[in-house]
Amino acid sequence: MRFFSLTFANSCIFAGLLVLLYSGITSAQDSPITSGQDLVTDAENCLLCHRYPNMGRYDKSGNKRIYYLNEKVFAESVHGKLRCKSCHVGLDEIPHSNVKKVDCSSNCHIKEPSTDKEFSHKNMVDKYVASVHGLGSDTSPKKKFPEDLPTCKYCHNNPMYVPADGIWGKSEALSNETLARCIGCHPTSHWAERFYSHFTHRMRRRRSQGEIVKLCTSCHEDQEKMARHGLESIGTYKDTYHWIQVQYGVENAPDCLSCHVPLGYSAHDIRPRTDSISPINMANRVKTCSNQGGMQSCHPGATTEFASGRVHAYGMKAQMMADQNAESFLAGQDISLVVERAEKDLSDKEVFHYKVLRLIKLFYKLLIALVIGSMLLHQGLDYMASRRQLKSR
Amino acid sequence: MIRKDFAMAKQKAKLKSEQNDNPGGPGRYFIRLNFNERVQHMIFLICFIVLAITGFMLKLPEDVVAKFGDAKDVVFYYRGLLHRTAGTIMILVSIYHVFYLLFKTAGRRWLVDMLPRFKDLSDLFGTMLYYLRFRVRPPEYDRFYYKQKLEYGALIAGATLMSVTGLLLWTEERWPKFILDIAAIVHGMEAILACLAIMVWHMYEVHLRPRKFPIDNLWITGVIDEEEMMEEYPLHYQKIMADPELQKAYLQPEHGKRDVSGRISARGSE
Repeated sequence: MRFFSLTFANSCIFAGLLVLLYSGITSAQDSPITSGQDLVTDAENCLLCHRYPNMGRYDKSGNKRIYYLNEKVFAESVHGKLRCKSCHVGLDEIPHSNVKKVDCSSNCHIKEPSTDKEFSHKNMVDKYVASVHGLGSDTSPKKKFPEDLPTCKYCHNNPMYVPADGIWGKSEALSNETLARCIGCHPTSHWAERFYSHFTHRMRRRRSQGEIVKLCTSCHEDQEKMARHGLESIGTYKDTYHWIQVQYGVENAPDCLSCHVPLGYSAHDIRPRTDSISPINMANRVKTCSNQGGMQSCHPGATTEFASGRVHAYGMKAQMMADQNAESFLAGQDISLVVERAEKDLSDKEVFHYKVLRLIKLFYKLLIALVIGSMLLHQGLDYMASRRQLKSR
Repeated sequence: MIRKDFAMAKQKAKLKSEQNDNPGGPGRYFIRLNFNERVQHMIFLICFIVLAITGFMLKLPEDVVAKFGDAKDVVFYYRGLLHRTAGTIMILVSIYHVFYLLFKTAGRRWLVDMLPRFKDLSDLFGTMLYYLRFRVRPPEYDRFYYKQKLEYGALIAGATLMSVTGLLLWTEERWPKFILDIAAIVHGMEAILACLAIMVWHMYEVHLRPRKFPIDNLWITGVIDEEEMMEEYPLHYQKIMADPELQKAYLQPEHGKRDVSGRISARGSE
């Protein structure tokens, strides 16, 4: 029975695919993509089907899954030289029933020139698993709520190679002239182009500061999700001058990575601030704030006193510690982990600082209300008196 | 109501121009702000506006900032540059003002007249009674009365706080972060207080007040006419009239017919 239902489901999917394929063929007649250009390495002939824009289906949860591959775009991407099966393991049957999730730590059968061994992102993945964002390894404790943790694809898409930015701005001419020098010795121009693109791709940041903040806050601003892991929302970052600069698109503006992944650190290996190698650990703060040797000019003269202060504005944890009223936060949710972390993360000095800052703010709010209120009253009375006086003349 | 104020202002302007055309008329003007003070006021005013605009640009919501488009980083650069320049000029004017108060005759007179006295408290009480119709006439004010003294005091306190916190933030690397956090809060909140106070207290005084509407020319001309002087600052008027020395200082020398441009350039006593 189970066999029957599986076969039946597969047949349905296959029938669906055929319908989509047919509609794809009709629309592909106008498509600029032509087969046989050999833009990508397609030894398995996957593009026989996947070149049609309507290739796709709705999955069980109703999401539209698109299986179309734009050959030209893919060829220009960082993975453009890989065969489909380098990442998509299995898929030997049609319709594909043995689909496995892409594992970025697998070997992709391209030789890495410096070691002449098969290339893999395994070293990055291993680091990542042990980092704050990873599920945990044998040496680090496993995390609860694995569904909250970002996978490789949450942050990485398959970015395109684009002409290099340089002191000449976005310049295709720069690429052309540099490549002309390369091609003299490396006659396979396609190889030279990809090598050049790979090199220039690493020379600059892929995302703007605003995009980085957007990516990180897409999880870290979710108060409920953060509370499950004993964290607070980092929405208070947006109360800082750092964020204002990012908002205005300032080239030198500091985003999340500027402090959490400064020069010499990897975004895949972010550690908690209690870890002695973390760039935001108190022992490493001066180095992080001064960013010596980095492209960004941050606080070259940073002192220990300057660097050891609070960077994000105080948030929920400080409020909990100051008022000792944890139960009033996030009603209906278990926040015992947040309370536990708050006690560990915030020193008495920091709680005192928070209280002082809060008091100053309150004082000013009252002062403004009192002063401006009295002024309004006074001027209102004056207005009436002045008009009365003018009328009586 | 505003329309009535417009009508009154028009009538007043007509009356003044008639008085000026008549050489024998009561066209005597009293100096309230001499040339030096007017220049100080003008520089301070421009700096204040520049500082307020460039400062509150940091508080703009994200979607408003996005409207600057691709030029937003350039806007931010000039915002910072203008804010620091205007701040520096304001500090310099403030320092000059202290020098003016201590070392110039007119400045010393200003300082003495501006000092708070018990009379200010009784004036405040009396004015309230007048506003609430328990008195027919307001108390007689001297050169500066409680409202102006309060405003001047607030200006000094505000300018000092803003300068100190601004300089702390400017030289951030030298200070502990906690001090900078305090400075940032004080700088921001004091700015809100100052702008609101200027809008409610000062703008009303020189723009919206029925007798002054639509604008009091004092900040340009520096003088008020005899009628206004007698009405608003009767005690000071009496003092001037009784003392030839004070007349030299406060009475505009060439009274009679005088156009606005002439009054602007009048230097007054320094």
